Amino acid sequence: MSKPEVVAIGTDAGSTTCKLVAVGQGGEVLGSRLEATQPHIELQVGELLGQLRSELGVDGPVPCVATGYGRKLVKDATRSVTEITCHARGVFRDLGHGGTLVDIGGQDSKVIRLGNNGKPVDFMMNDKCAAGTGRFLEYTSARLGVPIDELGRRALSTDREEPITSTCTVFAESEIISLLARGVALEAILRGLHRALVGRIVAMVHNVGLTPPLMLSGGVAHNEAVRALIEEATGERVLLPREPQLMGAYGAALLGTEGKSAA
Amino acid sequence: MPIADRLTARKAIIERVRGLGRKVVAVLPFHYPRALLRAYRLHPIEVWGPPNVPRDKGSQHFQAYTCDIVLKATSFLLRGGMDPVDAILVPHTCDALQGMASVTADFLKPRQPVLTLYLPRGCRDSDRAFLIAELRRLAGCCAEISGHKPNEADWAEAFAAEEAADRALASLYQRRPRLALSDRDFYTAVRSREFLTAEDFGELAASLPEGDPPADGVGLMLSGIVAEPLELFDRINEMGAHVVADDLACGYRRVYPPAAESDPFARIAAQLLACPPDPTRGSPIEQRVAALRSRMRESGAQGLLIYDVKFCEPELFDIPLLRKHLAAAGLPVLHVEFEMGMTVSRQVLTRIEAFVETLQ
Amino acid sequence: MTETTPLSHYVRSSRLDYQLRYELLGKALLRVQRWRDQRKLAGLRPREDSVLNPPLRCVAYMKEMMSRHYLEGRYANGVRKVAWVTSGAPAELLKALDFFLIYPENHAALCGVRRKAESLCEEAEHDGYSRDICSYGRTDIGAMLSGKTPAGRLPRPDLLLCCTNICQTVLYWYRVLAAHFGCPLILIDTPFLYHEAEAHQVAYVQRQLEEMVSVAEQVAGRSFSERSFMQVVDHSRRASELWLEVLNRSRHRPAPMTAFDGFIHMGPIVDMRGDPETTDYYERMLDELDERIRNGVGAIKEERYRVLWDNLPIWYKIGDFSKWLGGHGVNVVASTYTYAWGELSPMIDPSKPFESMARVYLHPILNRSTGHKLSSMQRMVDEFHLDGVILHSDRSCKPYSLGQIDQRDHLVQEMGIPALLLEADHNDPRAYAEEQSTQRLEAFIEMMEARA
Repeated sequence: MSKPEVVAIGTDAGSTTCKLVAVGQGGEVLGSRLEATQPHIELQVGELLGQLRSELGVDGPVPCVATGYGRKLVKDATRSVTEITCHARGVFRDLGHGGTLVDIGGQDSKVIRLGNNGKPVDFMMNDKCAAGTGRFLEYTSARLGVPIDELGRRALSTDREEPITSTCTVFAESEIISLLARGVALEAILRGLHRALVGRIVAMVHNVGLTPPLMLSGGVAHNEAVRALIEEATGERVLLPREPQLMGAYGAALLGTEGKSAA
Repeated sequence: MPIADRLTARKAIIERVRGLGRKVVAVLPFHYPRALLRAYRLHPIEVWGPPNVPRDKGSQHFQAYTCDIVLKATSFLLRGGMDPVDAILVPHTCDALQGMASVTADFLKPRQPVLTLYLPRGCRDSDRAFLIAELRRLAGCCAEISGHKPNEADWAEAFAAEEAADRALASLYQRRPRLALSDRDFYTAVRSREFLTAEDFGELAASLPEGDPPADGVGLMLSGIVAEPLELFDRINEMGAHVVADDLACGYRRVYPPAAESDPFARIAAQLLACPPDPTRGSPIEQRVAALRSRMRESGAQGLLIYDVKFCEPELFDIPLLRKHLAAAGLPVLHVEFEMGMTVSRQVLTRIEAFVETLQ
Repeated sequence: MTETTPLSHYVRSSRLDYQLRYELLGKALLRVQRWRDQRKLAGLRPREDSVLNPPLRCVAYMKEMMSRHYLEGRYANGVRKVAWVTSGAPAELLKALDFFLIYPENHAALCGVRRKAESLCEEAEHDGYSRDICSYGRTDIGAMLSGKTPAGRLPRPDLLLCCTNICQTVLYWYRVLAAHFGCPLILIDTPFLYHEAEAHQVAYVQRQLEEMVSVAEQVAGRSFSERSFMQVVDHSRRASELWLEVLNRSRHRPAPMTAFDGFIHMGPIVDMRGDPETTDYYERMLDELDERIRNGVGAIKEERYRVLWDNLPIWYKIGDFSKWLGGHGVNVVASTYTYAWGELSPMIDPSKPFESMARVYLHPILNRSTGHKLSSMQRMVDEFHLDGVILHSDRSCKPYSLGQIDQRDHLVQEMGIPALLLEADHNDPRAYAEEQSTQRLEAFIEMMEARA
């Protein structure tokens, strides 16, 4: 049996992680890579591409679509497309319907309204402030000494919640310090922090207009507290694609199969 | 040759108009009586930031929630950028410029006099009568600066020159689809009115080549106060889009229709009050929606890009209703905010690019 | 382009409802509540664990007045014509035509004090109103869109009256209201006074006041009587004079009330100037203050430092600030903000109602230059014998805040007193950083200590 042929590759160089996905003729995922973003994105993507190509036995030229904030730095890309279009395409392909897609990224969060054809109809992104992004959690996880993948579980482990009024990352930090000094339980603070982040996201959801179902992609989708609190605030169940973190790269690869090479 | 290379530098213009016996006034955004200044032998040079000036000196006098135009213009003044001018005119465009004018006059106390102009927020007879009186007051200040009081011939000359330049600007917009100019060149030409003399501007506008316009792809209409830096236009073109119309304070909002009044002050007031709908003048939102809708349809714009300087309250209030009513007409709206500098931030560009992708 | 859908929460009441629920039952219940409050307040003795002396007894009357006002509002649609007006608008003209008036700014402040502003701001933000928009505007737009208000229900406006003497923001905001409600908007545009008022500026405002009469008459469905206008103006003048006297009582040491009391007791002068009850109320308040002065009772038990507050209050922090500062021996005895509704009373001349009102409505401190604001503060520092100034740098109010950096420097350099620029927002608690602010306030008090 011969290996399925790779028809396109998508790269998603984000501010926190760098992702690659290779797809076959039918849009199926044939291979992927995911690692923390390094300072020299250009070299890093080149290396990951090389690895993926040799693993999957790709010799000839294959369309490569780049997305993510480092998309313009990817030398081998045949085309660059924004995360909005790519996440929309990836999630639509995986879940098979339109609705409202939330992607919480490291530097940017976005809420995208997907039409029934999978194309983005409207979208909204956070303002410049980091409070509505994954960076807010990263920052506080470092500050509190809780590993990032435990944040959500710890936040949900309590019913107590300490409201964090400052949604500015810098102000929130000083608020956390004073709460800890007052002896407030760490979990209650964590729950409050998640609530603050979700508050910002839900504002964007309402702004775009909530069309069910609600879908979540990006690294933060793995955080169970974010999911639970979004569900609580919107009254809608949140659907996840199989690999939320790879959706940008996957969507990019899918766009590559369409054979456009402009832009 | 790019249009920018054909323009005389501001410093050289200042020297030249001085040679013509005119004094120079630095003018902040954005409605003001050009013909009046000319009749009183004053030449305006507008200050919209500038983007390349650091905020530092301005931040010593204004809080962080002040818009960049005020912060940077104040920095520019305190760093000596306005030293060559004889007066500073701050039209009352918004609360932020009101604050700047007041702080400058009361606390910064530059060598040059600070002139103000209150623009009434309505178009009623009372507004017209007030504006005429306010223009007369401003004229008194102008006479003190230049030492000149215009006679009838001066007024006639000033109106002939400035109204010709107004017509040249309007015709640039009319001819836009036929002009063989990139978006950057087109807006460089439009904005050269901010410092060129009326004659030079008219000459430049007349000389612009017609032919196949270089643009294709998604047509956008651009709204806001000022589209800085000009690099923005290059980036938009690279995304496969181009600017087919605008609702910018530094652009179309100053395409004043001609007026026929014989009294010079009444004539200027009539012109200023007849500007296209403008949130800083308190235009009703429905008027703005109607004007934007019809101009987008005429120009073939597929979407409206609202490109706002951060903290611009007059622009912000209208956005939800603009979005709603234009979307209902099948015209999507994207609102982005920017901090004024020499480059456009990656975040801003990603938003615009994604918007263009949704329109393709 | 009127929005029709979200208006379902505005209901028309019948005259019967109004008579029964407001005139008969409502008023009686509120009177009973006031008697109870009075009894409770009369029984209060200074508590050892409190840094403040008991509140003024007259607060019971104010609560009754304000509650009655909002209660009437609930049943006003269909019975009285309703106008929504800005805080600095020439309300006397509409009063003379018997309009029921709603002050959205006062309503927003009420939401702020009750800590409901944040969630209402979020309602507006969900609809696309930016966080950089004035938090009063966001609070009220949020209430308008959601129908939620701690006041129960606001009546729908038949007329909007917007005066730009406090900011341009109100014009953009009222344009949104006009598009939403589809009712006429009267604009009274008041040119900003960089210097002394000039004849053409006064004439402009006067002409707008005269011309608004016919629009208001049409909406009101009755004709304007100059006599009743003069009467309202006279009540307004008397109330403003009394309010000024009330505030000036704090020149005494110890001051019988704090500026925080002033923020609460300003409700009637903002919302009900022109009504005879307002005059009665401030007479009562004045009597009580004089009683305190005779007995040497201050608002706080130990008044070590006397301070001026500049700009709007931080509504959601009034109680906390008053206790915290009181605990540090700081009495905020005066504010430029509460003064704004009193200092112009000498300009009001009921015999020349239009012209004098034009002057009055041109001259609020917010419509005057940054230099004038500084000299007002300097004068207050002298007259109230103050030890320091807190300048609330209010993210939501640019006309009040721009200029404060230089004003602060001048106060420190020319008067040699400590002055603090405190970054916050009058209604949005998310723009307030507790720890940073406390630290700055502590340092400010230490500086006053060092000078003492």
